[in-house]
Amino acid sequence: MRAVPAPTAKAGRRAPPLAYLSAAALVAITTALAAAARELFAIPDAEMLYVLAVLIAAVFLGRGPAVTSAALGVLAYDYFFVPPSFTLDVHDARYLLTFAMMFGIGLLVSSLAERASAEAVRAEREQLRSTLLASVSHDLRTPLAAITGAASTLRDQAVDAPTRRELLDTVCDEAERMDRLVGNLLDMTRLASGEVTPKREWVPVDELVGAALARVERALVQHVVRTAVPEYPALVSVDPVLVEQLIVNLLDNAARHTPAGTEVEVSAEASGGALTVEVSDSGPGVPEPLREEIFERFQRGSASTGRGAGLGLAIARAIAEVHGGTLTLAERPGGGARFRLELPRVGDSPLVPHEPGEPGAEEAR
Amino acid sequence: MTETGPVVLVVEDEPQMRRFLRASLGAEGYRVVEAWTVADGLRMATTERPELVLLDLGLPDGDGLDLVRRVREWSPVPVIVLSARGREEDKVAALDAGADDYLPKPFGTKELLARMRVALRHARSGAGSGDPVLEVGPLRMDHDRHEASVGGREVRLTPIEWKLLALLAQNAGKVLTHSQILREVWGPNASSQTHYVRVYMAELRKKLEADPARPRLLLTEPGVGYRLADGG
Repeated sequence: MRAVPAPTAKAGRRAPPLAYLSAAALVAITTALAAAARELFAIPDAEMLYVLAVLIAAVFLGRGPAVTSAALGVLAYDYFFVPPSFTLDVHDARYLLTFAMMFGIGLLVSSLAERASAEAVRAEREQLRSTLLASVSHDLRTPLAAITGAASTLRDQAVDAPTRRELLDTVCDEAERMDRLVGNLLDMTRLASGEVTPKREWVPVDELVGAALARVERALVQHVVRTAVPEYPALVSVDPVLVEQLIVNLLDNAARHTPAGTEVEVSAEASGGALTVEVSDSGPGVPEPLREEIFERFQRGSASTGRGAGLGLAIARAIAEVHGGTLTLAERPGGGARFRLELPRVGDSPLVPHEPGEPGAEEAR
Repeated sequence: MTETGPVVLVVEDEPQMRRFLRASLGAEGYRVVEAWTVADGLRMATTERPELVLLDLGLPDGDGLDLVRRVREWSPVPVIVLSARGREEDKVAALDAGADDYLPKPFGTKELLARMRVALRHARSGAGSGDPVLEVGPLRMDHDRHEASVGGREVRLTPIEWKLLALLAQNAGKVLTHSQILREVWGPNASSQTHYVRVYMAELRKKLEADPARPRLLLTEPGVGYRLADGG
């Protein structure tokens, strides 16, 4: 299965201020070129140079900047090159036609360019969707095939007790796997839609880590788990459900890709409301060139056991990003992988009222 | 199959789910009565006098949450919501509407039976009964002498910590939402200050848990609330 990167270009969006600045710069350069050229030889059609500038703006910068460059081009051309020079007066009606042409070309070409890029994005989305569908149906059918096989054997054939037990385990395990996949797909779809805004609450860091550890207890039962979290109630403003999910996914990833008996360490730190969480393992690690790739959807590590659809890390990173933070992978000193989550501080930590008779008992830091 | 087992009302419109519940609950000695609409569910909650209600939320003639609210107007019968809506806000909505527990689909029979036992035990013992000594697993709270201990080790609690822990202990095994806890411990005006609960829970964990980062007693239900691990 191949990795599916998110589409990058977006059609029809508003051009950034930089694009307008570039359009103005384009006109300035054109003017300088035309002026320099005029010094060397008489150019009959300086306006053609401006048309070229408008075309460039239309193709590369979008409609707004194209119109801007047309307007600036008209002004510059009029001021510097249309007699009488160094005024904005126009004595010859022919130039009005030139001006109209420049605007017209700018509008036409920019809308053509926009349509072409919208088409490209649509094609990219279409491609993404069909790849997603292919991945999803494959990943759903695999457990379904095991369930169907096991259940029909149980119904249609006489099997001994240990086999029966094994087949029943298969049914339960595979059903659970399907459920996880459906949950992951929903999460991923929601996060990729760009409509998720984290529901921030002030949460103690140890609660996030503790709740995550409780949920992966079974997956990590054969590993040695170490934790290092702040002792005091360090509050961070995050969406507790999402961040807990993120930590679960990192721990789950460690459980899946490192041998039994090895160590998995979770450390968390909150300073001034910013949160850092590290999940380190002492497994085989991830070679440098693959460290970004593993965050892509449907990407499985080469040493993978083949379980899971390769969505966990993509979801984890998406969660970090909706919080305005980052999730990166580095090498753990001494071997293994180290995932590092960094979320920026948001707002001021609230105070929890003191209890009567308990001076300074519970002030949040 | 006994004829004396507790009557369980199953309100669920999916025939496959009813079939599975009928078979697995019947095997455990429960007597299952079935409804597949809100209207029938309400009627049977009166006529069949169930000891427990298992309720699906998406029913053909309305939302199961309406049934919970209506039933709560006159009956404390424990209601466990079984729903494919697994989002935290759905769980909170169901619990705040008066449901006793929430089990997202799909679930295993073992899990369901455990939750049913907890719900039935709470209903039978009567919530917040006057027993001065509360014991849940390793936790012991003596209200008269105002003493709490975990595994025989005495812990000193502030008044709010005491109230919080007592509330969780009275509802051991049951999830309490942040707003339920806030209302009970801090009063109705604090219902949006969820960080109060979180900070005090962190303090309680430090006092009660061997490793506060890996709690065994004071469990977090992310995005929903807290639950005191049921000793059994």
